[in-house]
Amino acid sequence: MGKAQYKVEGGKLIKVQLEIKANKIKKVKITGDFFLHPEELIEELEKAIEGAALNEQILAGHIKAFIKKNEVVLLGASPEDFAKCIVMAGTNND
Amino acid sequence: MIEEWRLLDTGLHDAFYNMALDEAIAVARSKNLVSNTLRFFRWEPSAISIGYFQSMEEEVDTLACNARGIDYVRRRTGGGAVYHDRDGELTYSLIINQGHSLISKDFQETYETLCSGLVHGLRLLEIQAEFKPINDIIVGGRKISGNAQTRGMNVVHQHGTILLKVDPSLMFTVLKVPNEKIRDKLVKSVEERVTSLNSFLKRDVSFDELKEALVKGFEESFSIRLVTGTLTKSEEQTAAKLKAEKYATNEWNFKR
Repeated sequence: MGKAQYKVEGGKLIKVQLEIKANKIKKVKITGDFFLHPEELIEELEKAIEGAALNEQILAGHIKAFIKKNEVVLLGASPEDFAKCIVMAGTNND
Repeated sequence: MIEEWRLLDTGLHDAFYNMALDEAIAVARSKNLVSNTLRFFRWEPSAISIGYFQSMEEEVDTLACNARGIDYVRRRTGGGAVYHDRDGELTYSLIINQGHSLISKDFQETYETLCSGLVHGLRLLEIQAEFKPINDIIVGGRKISGNAQTRGMNVVHQHGTILLKVDPSLMFTVLKVPNEKIRDKLVKSVEERVTSLNSFLKRDVSFDELKEALVKGFEESFSIRLVTGTLTKSEEQTAAKLKAEKYATNEWNFKR
């Protein structure tokens, strides 16, 4: 299981717990003190990136698409920040 | 005609009821059973609330809390972990219909608008408070109030804290620290970054004095009149149900 945390400059703290399989996301948990509206969609967002390649640009693209499709508002962090922290957790994998 | 909002002072309650009641008021507001509401409340016993997206295990030293009789609860709003001291903090909630002219589609803008009532109230106490994005109020560069907002059922719910006194070393005995070596450093950093009414004004400010100033602050900033009211039966019933079925359950509090 990989773990990482990333403090967004002028924003919030993101923490990621990650399981990967063949360089793809098997399971991810994104926690932290950011704001995401509607809140319940965090779990759907986590599900939506399962199976995605552990690549910052690709992940940011998936997260952006999810946000757009579901009219999600993210405050204190950006899709790129989430993607960055997920990849960090992937490289901390043991 | 000046717009009238309901003012509630629900006093001391446990963390689970406090969070349940906020949601119950939002439910009642969404059904138009009550008017827009400002609620003041406090915590007995002292408690920690964590943000919707935080992990209880990662943020809270639950064993230390259990030993000291401190409650811990997950909020329906995002943001960070907060230690709510029974005697050192006042908490407020605003529950407003989303169509109200104070509410913008933009969250950041709405934080600033709703916090302007607090800022104005604090200034009436001779505290040169200012709003600091994303969701803080600061004085002399130090945080004195944290706020968090959620929306749903066509209702905006914002709650937040105002510190009367602060004890950073107690905070870090109940909040988790990444490792023991940096505990002192964290305590020191909170001492530098956070202030309270009492330490800033160098006198003891009472809850009543603070509430009176905030009521005036909200009334003048929002052009409203706050009228002392009571909870409805339906709010009390919904709160009891939400406490038992949601906020007091491990399923909710440990869900992330």
